[in-house]
Amino acid sequence: MNKTALQIIRFVVLVLFQVLVINHIRLGGYVHPYIYLIFVMLLPFSTPKWQLLVLGFALGLSVDLFTGTPGLHAGATTLMAFCRPSIIKLVSGNQKFENINEPNLGQLGGIWFFRYALCLVLVHHFTLFLLESFSFRLIGQVLLRILLSVPVSIFLIMMIMFIFKSEKKRD
Amino acid sequence: MNNLRRFILKHHFVILFILLEVISILLLANSQRFHRNRMVNTTNDAVGKIYEWSSAVGNYFRLNTANEQLAEENALLRKQLSVVYDTTSSIYNVNESDTLYEYIPAQVVNNSTNQANNYIIINKGKSDGIERDMSVMSTEGIVGVVTDVSRHYASVMSLLHSKSVVGVRIKESQELASLKWETNNYRYGMVEDIPTHIILQKGDTILTSSHSYIFPEDLMVGTVEEFYPTAIDALNKAKIRFSTDFATLRHVYVIRDLHKPELDSLKARFQ
Repeated sequence: MNKTALQIIRFVVLVLFQVLVINHIRLGGYVHPYIYLIFVMLLPFSTPKWQLLVLGFALGLSVDLFTGTPGLHAGATTLMAFCRPSIIKLVSGNQKFENINEPNLGQLGGIWFFRYALCLVLVHHFTLFLLESFSFRLIGQVLLRILLSVPVSIFLIMMIMFIFKSEKKRD
Repeated sequence: MNNLRRFILKHHFVILFILLEVISILLLANSQRFHRNRMVNTTNDAVGKIYEWSSAVGNYFRLNTANEQLAEENALLRKQLSVVYDTTSSIYNVNESDTLYEYIPAQVVNNSTNQANNYIIINKGKSDGIERDMSVMSTEGIVGVVTDVSRHYASVMSLLHSKSVVGVRIKESQELASLKWETNNYRYGMVEDIPTHIILQKGDTILTSSHSYIFPEDLMVGTVEEFYPTAIDALNKAKIRFSTDFATLRHVYVIRDLHKPELDSLKARFQ
């Protein structure tokens, strides 16, 4: 399949899955998992840096459109996209990816992807919940939200990645 | 000029990042301001349509409960009406000029209860006569205030919003207080500024007050769950249970206050 088309489908499916399914799961007031970040995680290594930012911003803004919070997800996702190149360096150390096109679970291994996803989700959730409260007044609540949401997001993201990995092998 | 271009090219990543973040923060700051002054209209017909499709699936499974609720409400209204009119005769003789409020039925197409600021999207908009600042209620109690309208949809700021403040009244003692939401739980709200001499019991009823400029008087808000008297000479607080179940909200009424234009023009004269 055309690579751009695949990215567009991924974008749309992830945003819709987030706003129509995940956002409606009630896990108590503090747990808010976000899985649409997978789109930014899976962008090819060769993506120009400015494209990372623009795509991250567009992704966040699309989610904002549905949740009625203009700028909230856009801000958090842009920061996450900004951090992605440094996080890739940080997580992989001296590892080189010569034949690998995009950061995926199959070729880089579960541990690598887990560390990569964890760093990105932490950056995103921290920014998001802080921006959402828009003040440091409720910092305790914000930290609790981050502490409880990050594991759930990571769990869902890893699960989705494993499902797609096995499907690719079957082909 | 050349230097500037080189500088921008060299640091384009950081510059673009800062630019996008500034846009985000501005959008966010704007949406947090009081809704009357908002620049960006966040309600969108396309988004409304997608939510409507998605909720159509869920609605199908809830038809039974919805029917029961509506039938119950019908019975209640019929009973209330029979006090004033003979409901068996076909002529009710309702005087049009006596009506204070008009109720526009709508369906919830999207609803959240777990954010810090929750909004509800309903499937009626400008073309159905919905305007900003109209109040919204369900069969059980009050729901929120319309903040944004598009042609066929409207956004409602639910009571579950950090900026939501509603003027309420304690039914038993007629005392006024104000209702906020801070408990992070969609079932409970907080009534503040209760005068010190008032002691509330669990189960006491809270209604909207006539001082609430947005809601009609005497609508059901909730019942007291826990009373927090303050030791010092300050105003008391009480945790209340909303009579509206925000988690299963489907059918709502948007209330049009027919005397509002008159009231508004009177208010404007004093400003």
